[in-house]
Amino acid sequence: MDVTARIHEQLTKCGIKIAASLPDDWVAPLIERIAADNQIRHVRVAREAEAIAICSGAFFGGVRSVALMGATGLLTCTGELATLNLRHQIPVFLIVSQRGSIDDHRIYQEVQGRRTLPLLQAYDFPYHIVDRPDEVSSIPDAFETCRMQKRPFVLFLTRRLVKGEGTA
Amino acid sequence: MKARDAIDVLARHRGEAVAVCALGMAANEWWAATKSEDSFYMHGAMGFAASFALGLALSLPQVPVWLINADGSLCMNLGCLLTEASQAASNLKHFVVANGVYQTVGGLPMVNDGRTDYAAMARAAGFQRARTIETLDDLEQQLPAIAAEDGPSLTVLRVEPETGFLRTPPMTYEGPEMKYRFGRALERRFGIEVFGPQGY
Repeated sequence: MDVTARIHEQLTKCGIKIAASLPDDWVAPLIERIAADNQIRHVRVAREAEAIAICSGAFFGGVRSVALMGATGLLTCTGELATLNLRHQIPVFLIVSQRGSIDDHRIYQEVQGRRTLPLLQAYDFPYHIVDRPDEVSSIPDAFETCRMQKRPFVLFLTRRLVKGEGTA
Repeated sequence: MKARDAIDVLARHRGEAVAVCALGMAANEWWAATKSEDSFYMHGAMGFAASFALGLALSLPQVPVWLINADGSLCMNLGCLLTEASQAASNLKHFVVANGVYQTVGGLPMVNDGRTDYAAMARAAGFQRARTIETLDDLEQQLPAIAAEDGPSLTVLRVEPETGFLRTPPMTYEGPEMKYRFGRALERRFGIEVFGPQGY
């Protein structure tokens, strides 16, 4: 089973019924896999904060959801995560590519690599980094932690996980 | 048409709809008119009440969801129109209270002062039903049909700008309390489970 299939399987185990997404190239295969699942309502958005707010609205409908995006997109929605989700203590579960890692040789990702985790720590948003296929099974625990902590929770996917060994 | 009068008409025709209100004037006026706890009053994320309402509408497809948006909020995230049109939630009605100013911060004018046609933008984004209403009489006359039609629809309520800081005060509860009042209200009304057995 490839890694996108494993992640998809774990999201299904979490009871996810809505996925809102804006792709970067690392999460694109996962997004397309979820889009093909007719048990999950997939919402393509024009800006990542839309995904945050869609998942927040879904929470009040009693529906479990996930927001999928790249690290750059995560940085664009910190204001909404603070003023909607922190303000009202609304859990939102995000799956995000961990861009700017030492094996991600894209110059336009270097700030994301240096500042994303410190930013989450400043907001006190919990996160968990999944680096190997056998760690994908932690997703249901991460999802439950998100609900218990009543705030944004970011599950990062590393380059090694989604692209394999080597650099690019 | 004054915002309060337009909101009063919406409140009278609300029926069973659950409301989501953009922060500021729209939320404050809806609270003043309805005092309803089965409404969510955004306190932040300006521009994203539309997305919140869409998520709620997709989660509760049998429940009418009314979005009480404002022009300042809509312009923070015009891309929401594309997402709403593409999802085609038949239970979602989008109202835009358009006064052309940022009223709750002193009535300063919005960008493109009075020249923007939001209904035309919605149609261009793919909405089948979008219109602008300029008078209370027209609103009274058209609202029953709007409430009864399939969504998504967008209805712009062109209202007069008004002066005065926080002319209408906000709702009397906030933050986590708003979350629990709204969530519990939906649990009671629709028999759904928003919070788990341990309360989170």
